[in-house]
Amino acid sequence: MLAVQILVDGFAISALYGLGAVGFTLMFGVSGVLNLSHGATMVVAAVTAWVVAGQHAGSPWLAALAGTGAGVATAFATYFLVVRPIQRSRSVPAAEKEIFVLTGTLLWGIMIQEAVAYFYTDNPKTVQPLIAGVMQIGGVRTPINELLIAVICWTVIGLLWLLVNRTKAGKVLLAASINPRALTILGFELSRVYLLVWTIYGVLAGIAGVLLATFLGASSAQASQLTASAFSIVVLGGLGSVTGSLFAAYVVGYLETLTAYLISPAYRTVPALVLVVLVVYFRPHGLLGRR
Amino acid sequence: MLDRKTFTLHVRTVLLAAAALGCLAASQVRAQTKEPIRIGIISEESAIAGAGISRAAQIAMDEINAAGGVDGRKVEIVQYDDHNSAADAVRAFQRAVSQDKVVGVIGTYITEIALALQPWSARTHVPFITTGAASNEISRHVHDDYDKNKYTFHEYMASPFIADSVCDSVKLWLQTKYSIKSAVVLSEDAAWTTPLDAEYLECLPKVGVTVLDHVRFSPDTSDFTPLYNKIEGEKPDVIVTGWSHIGVQPTVQWAQQQVPIPIIGISSQATSGTFWKDTNGAAAGIVTFSVASDGANLTPVTQPFVDAYIKRFGEPPPYPGFTTVDAVHVFVEAVRRAGSTDGDKLVTALEQTDYIGTVGRVQFYGRDSLFTHAMKYGPTFAPGIALQWQDGKQVPLWPKAAPNAKLKFPAFTHLQPPKG
Amino acid sequence: MWIALVLLAVLLTLPLWASAYILGVLTVACYFGVFAMSWDLLFGFANEVNFGPTFLIGTGAYTAGLLNAHGVPMWVCLIAGAAGALVGGVVLAVPALRLTGPYFGLTTLVAVLLLQQFIIIFAGTTGGEIGLTMNDILSMDATTNYWYALTFMAVSGAILLTLSRSPVGLILQASGQDRIGAAALGFNVVKHKLAAFCVSAVFSGLAGAMLVFYLGTASVGTVVDVAVGVQVIIAAVLGGRRTIVGAAIGAIFLILAGELLRPLGQLSTFVVSAVALVVILFFVDGLMGLLGRRREES
Repeated sequence: MLAVQILVDGFAISALYGLGAVGFTLMFGVSGVLNLSHGATMVVAAVTAWVVAGQHAGSPWLAALAGTGAGVATAFATYFLVVRPIQRSRSVPAAEKEIFVLTGTLLWGIMIQEAVAYFYTDNPKTVQPLIAGVMQIGGVRTPINELLIAVICWTVIGLLWLLVNRTKAGKVLLAASINPRALTILGFELSRVYLLVWTIYGVLAGIAGVLLATFLGASSAQASQLTASAFSIVVLGGLGSVTGSLFAAYVVGYLETLTAYLISPAYRTVPALVLVVLVVYFRPHGLLGRR
Repeated sequence: MLDRKTFTLHVRTVLLAAAALGCLAASQVRAQTKEPIRIGIISEESAIAGAGISRAAQIAMDEINAAGGVDGRKVEIVQYDDHNSAADAVRAFQRAVSQDKVVGVIGTYITEIALALQPWSARTHVPFITTGAASNEISRHVHDDYDKNKYTFHEYMASPFIADSVCDSVKLWLQTKYSIKSAVVLSEDAAWTTPLDAEYLECLPKVGVTVLDHVRFSPDTSDFTPLYNKIEGEKPDVIVTGWSHIGVQPTVQWAQQQVPIPIIGISSQATSGTFWKDTNGAAAGIVTFSVASDGANLTPVTQPFVDAYIKRFGEPPPYPGFTTVDAVHVFVEAVRRAGSTDGDKLVTALEQTDYIGTVGRVQFYGRDSLFTHAMKYGPTFAPGIALQWQDGKQVPLWPKAAPNAKLKFPAFTHLQPPKG
Repeated sequence: MWIALVLLAVLLTLPLWASAYILGVLTVACYFGVFAMSWDLLFGFANEVNFGPTFLIGTGAYTAGLLNAHGVPMWVCLIAGAAGALVGGVVLAVPALRLTGPYFGLTTLVAVLLLQQFIIIFAGTTGGEIGLTMNDILSMDATTNYWYALTFMAVSGAILLTLSRSPVGLILQASGQDRIGAAALGFNVVKHKLAAFCVSAVFSGLAGAMLVFYLGTASVGTVVDVAVGVQVIIAAVLGGRRTIVGAAIGAIFLILAGELLRPLGQLSTFVVSAVALVVILFFVDGLMGLLGRRREES
């Protein structure tokens, strides 16, 4: 019984981690940006969904749509207001662009977090599940919402795979992540590629944020924790590797769930952190990283 | 050696420094008119409970000033947001005292922050009343080192009293309706729950409830599924809680997962009028203990305060709102009684407090009690109330029930009627 | 260099006319200045973004705090704090120096998260989130505390500045910006980076220990939290990278701005972050750049 419980619980949470991580790693792989306002973006999506559902009495589906839209809007804001100016700035030496983008997105993330807390307090926001109720799986009483989350996450990831591997735009994205310079030589405009990747990122982070709100709840105070978590998973899996992030998300998700159930919820995050350290030490490019 | 460029550089540096310091200096100058009585309010504005503190203080200030102030002097509230940080709170306290010249500080609902401010109140000899923190450490310190710590007053129910009232409510009320023979204590790991849980473990067996397990979780837990799963396996009749930093998430998850065990005890966030909305209705059936609420009518001033708060802020006050509005009145009365704003005189005056507030009759324990300067608990003082969320409303049920009010637990919980 | 002296001169005059409150704010700012300067040494000269300066600060602070809670005299605790941070620095450096870029950053970040978990899990000994109350504090008097902090910052700053301009410092800078070239010239890059780590650790740890003896409590929220580390990084970048002095200026600016904006209440953090963002977007060389100081070109 416990085993089934762990299996089910771990699956849903890993799927959620995976969705967030995939966006994060895609962003790094294609445009080299480690977006440290990732958690804040998810929180904005979650809070927007809550606002639409609660204060404007919208249906959960409308709220979800609004939340995802907010995720995309925030992603664009991050790109146009913070990342692009730094990338194009002539006063920042090329070697230091990375640290500036990091610091910039970090500050931007803090601003978003504080703004959300100012308007809506740091109380966790929850959204009614898209489908309420529970069902029995192998004798384990599971909220239907959990299964729905897993289904949605994997559907989105599947769609992403289709996009990257079957459409022209997707292939350009893939190429950009491997060799941006070659792409420019071939006549593709990198700026459009970046626009595409930020849009995709916004959708992924937005959906992840909304789902988080229906599952566990999200608060502005959790923004940095969410970012740190995505960061660890992505590095564990290999920066830039989408498959790696998914794999790592499941590893981390199950490690945490096992620890919470078998040892104690207080130590939940420890084994995953230790694993990240070990992997970074012995295999810095991650479990499935390339380079 | 001093070329033009370097010279300009120096001038710019000095100008910048001067500008910065000029700002600092300017902030020190205060217009000296008929000195109002300044009270500092330190709270966590980004939290519902914290915002309630500053809002309630404003209401109290307006009431007092409308009635003429104190001997013609107006009361002025100076508000500080401590951003949930003890270090920030300490700096705010320092600023309040030495810069903004407050004569008393009221605030914070977080025990850790109240404990950090207590020594500063002692060092500066400025009275500090905490209106939401629960740990009895606060008043213990006053008892153990009276001369140093006497400036602190604890105007909220100390944790052991909260636990006692929960146990009393189980015996005198819940057990008359349901069979409650076992429980699991589920509390966040924080300073205020240590004495709370210790008292639960003492008083629950005395009312015939076996404590099957005692679970403490980190306040930044966001996934409660493993905890509920474990507790369900132990099959208690009720879950007795000590929740404050968290509230929305465990409640929502409890409802979503349809955990078949009712929740009673203390869930601070559930005492806030916005909790139903915050949890999208998952709060249905949650029983929590509080100092007062909408409809509780503990004293003639309780409901008027709730109404005034709703009128001004659009939602009912959270629990520290009640104690804060009382605390401001209590403090101002002490100023009147002492005829001075001197710290030591105010302490003596505060000890003589006998005020009918929104939470009951406010008096403080004296030096003969272990909990010196804590608020007196009991049927004739501040009795506290148990309330349950039903259909979007907080329904006070014990000791004074609203008319026609009945306990209503969700359908997925499995409580049995009392045996024999 | 001149800027540093002018700043110092101004700071020296403060006790003559500033209130205890302002002195208190600047005391904390001085310790933050040391945090930021230590970070700048590591970043500016080894070109490594340390996301977890609070690992070193926290290790130093808690070593000192825990010893003091067991009755060890304050001065011994301070030295022990610095030593503890040094050990922590070496432990961190060994895996970290094998990595570069985001991997290094992540390792340092994870180190902080692990330290935080460690402190919270063993709350019985460490006081957890509530914090540890110190038995001794540096002084009750605001002016005395201010002198301690200012002197400490001035001396640390002088040492760090000298190091950054010494042959060792130049090697670090060279290796930071062109690792291969530096190695080709025969410099042992790793050894020197390790040295930078150690120096950064000692100063961070000592400053952390002094800070908790000033505040009277050691808590996760003041010396370990990632948010504190973020403030340190922002202070250094805001002040001007690779200048050491800039880091101190940035720290003082940040802390002062935070306090000046206190009347804004909840929004003060927002405004400070926004200002910092604007500075790094438009004034890349930070405050030092604003003051016309040309960056060291290698």
